Amino acid sequence: MHRFFLGLSRLMAILGGTVLSILIVMICVSIIGRSINTIVHIDALEQNVGWLTDFVRGLGVGPVNGDFELVEAGIAFSIFSFLPMAQMSNAHASVDIFTSWLPRGANRVLGAAIEVLFAVALVIIAVQLYDGMSSKMRSGTTTFLLQFPVWWSYALSLVGAATAAIVGVYMAGVRVAEVITGRTIVADEMGADH
Amino acid sequence: MSNLEIGITSFPALMILIFMRVPIGLAMLVVGFVGLWMVNGTSDIALAKLKTESFTTFSSYSLSIVPMFLLMGHFATLGGMSQALFKAAESWLGHRRGGVAMAAIGACAGFGSICGSSLATAATMGRVALPELKRYGYAGGFSTATLAAGGTLGILIPPSVVLVIYAILTEQNIAKLFLAAFIPGLLAALSYVLAISVYVRLNPNSAGTRPRVPYAERFRNLIDVWPVLVVFFSVVGGIYLGWFTPTEGAAVGALGTGIIAFVNRGLNRKTFVESFLVTGRSTAMIFFIVLGAGFYNGFLALTQVPQELSSFVVSQGFSPYLVLVLILVFYLIFGCLMDSLSMILLTIPIFYPVISSMDFGLVNLAAMQADAAMEVLRSGVPVEMAQDMLDSINTAIASGMELTRDQMKALDIRVTESMARRIESEHLAIWFGILVLIVVEVGLITPPVGMNLFIINSMDRKTPIVETYKAVMYFVGSDIIRVIILVAFPTITLYLLPT
Repeated sequence: MHRFFLGLSRLMAILGGTVLSILIVMICVSIIGRSINTIVHIDALEQNVGWLTDFVRGLGVGPVNGDFELVEAGIAFSIFSFLPMAQMSNAHASVDIFTSWLPRGANRVLGAAIEVLFAVALVIIAVQLYDGMSSKMRSGTTTFLLQFPVWWSYALSLVGAATAAIVGVYMAGVRVAEVITGRTIVADEMGADH
Repeated sequence: MSNLEIGITSFPALMILIFMRVPIGLAMLVVGFVGLWMVNGTSDIALAKLKTESFTTFSSYSLSIVPMFLLMGHFATLGGMSQALFKAAESWLGHRRGGVAMAAIGACAGFGSICGSSLATAATMGRVALPELKRYGYAGGFSTATLAAGGTLGILIPPSVVLVIYAILTEQNIAKLFLAAFIPGLLAALSYVLAISVYVRLNPNSAGTRPRVPYAERFRNLIDVWPVLVVFFSVVGGIYLGWFTPTEGAAVGALGTGIIAFVNRGLNRKTFVESFLVTGRSTAMIFFIVLGAGFYNGFLALTQVPQELSSFVVSQGFSPYLVLVLILVFYLIFGCLMDSLSMILLTIPIFYPVISSMDFGLVNLAAMQADAAMEVLRSGVPVEMAQDMLDSINTAIASGMELTRDQMKALDIRVTESMARRIESEHLAIWFGILVLIVVEVGLITPPVGMNLFIINSMDRKTPIVETYKAVMYFVGSDIIRVIILVAFPTITLYLLPT
């Protein structure tokens, strides 16, 4: 079961990373398009090599339309998709110098309590995001330039948020089970790079 | 409880949660949520806020710079740039006393110019430089301390993830903050080199020697670092010159380092996926803290705590510099316990209003007017200006007095008090940000809990951490001296900024 959740969160993180990479390339294309667009509008060039500037302009070279909106929608998806991975690998920044004095058992109980609290927070976040999406759906809000419904972006983000909530609940279950049975089910990997 | 009381009680509550190992972002989110609940008497408003807050925080265009910089740093690691940088620095500095350690600092500074994170810089350079240091007979603790300190350059020298967050929190221009970090960053590298030379003089056995490298090879090695320079100047230069927004700059940097990594065969399917996972973990961690901080700060603002605190401090008539020093000392202590980003997100909304309501006299209206007047007069006295007007202007400038409205009209300039105040508040925000950044970073290398120390020490199992602690005190000392200098002379930080 652990392998399934690990695979799921990895998959989400890779999807998020892929979208992030696509955004990066899109932004760079947009910059190049904008630069070419500026160049073909230089007066001196227009007068001397008008055929060329007209040709380039005819190709419709320019910044990617609505790149700003695409970045906003895409980056939200990426970040929500990264959440499950962080949950699985315990990547969240915390201060552990005071609790390191506590006995092992107490630390385990504390760890389980924190994991439960986190799961509750992630579930609430996902549920509220769903609510937010529904109200955007009802109001029919669209983005300014591309005119696509805002709820689409919410729906994409919800995939990551829901996965994070599920993974959070699973991890909480694991830690609570560990406290009850006294066995280690999932080794506490310190995959944190903070 | 009144709102103010709820706000004040939230501090100890938050601290208790954080010290009980509750992840910092979660702790802020929970306290902010419960606080809003208590202030409003119902959980509805806090819940309603959550409907859009997570999405709007994560979909922020200006914050999207953060994952891009993180990915860029990881690509830079994969691209083998750390080796090239270290080799170049080593061939120029290696033969000196403590030279290989100095080279490690130089390479960290170079790597910092394409990587926005301290720990990544420390870890990447550690992998490259530690074996070399060992090979030339450098003591274990000295080597690990050098790299831990060098790592802090990663965040100080732009691009810097923490500066991006600070800029967004205080609504400052990211490009100007990057520019302001430049001289303090170089100063940091220089002061670490000085700390090394002091260390090797006091502990002559801690460093071996290395043969001199011929100049032809030195230049050859220097040429090998050109991709770093190209990426750095196109990202930071491009942002500064207004070619593109900071987010676009980060995208250019990420693509650029990605291409370098690909050409140098550092990027294949496996490492590509790995860079997604590493970037994803750090990104998720950072954004969860940003989300929690947004919630907590929203609640705090509602309770009026920041406003009350700043008006209280101002009404006490403390000297601005005293307040500044107290805040910096606070950061120094807490920086040992918490990572820099959490520190900044947690405290800037509280301290920044206090600092920005104080008068540090960074900008002088008369001096600004004199500058503008000189600018006009240098290109020739306006023909229609009467001689006695010119004389009166010259007298005013010479005695450091503010110009009158008539005098300014005659010169055709307009430098008003509100302009001076605007520049003053901008400069103050930038100066304070750089100081806070440095002090928080000192926490990363301060024993016994500095994060960088652990990262590097775990890469060299043979060195007991106590050895690292001893040697790192030289670097911490140089850091503290540097902070004092930067506090005493704000011009050093603000020098490159346009007025």
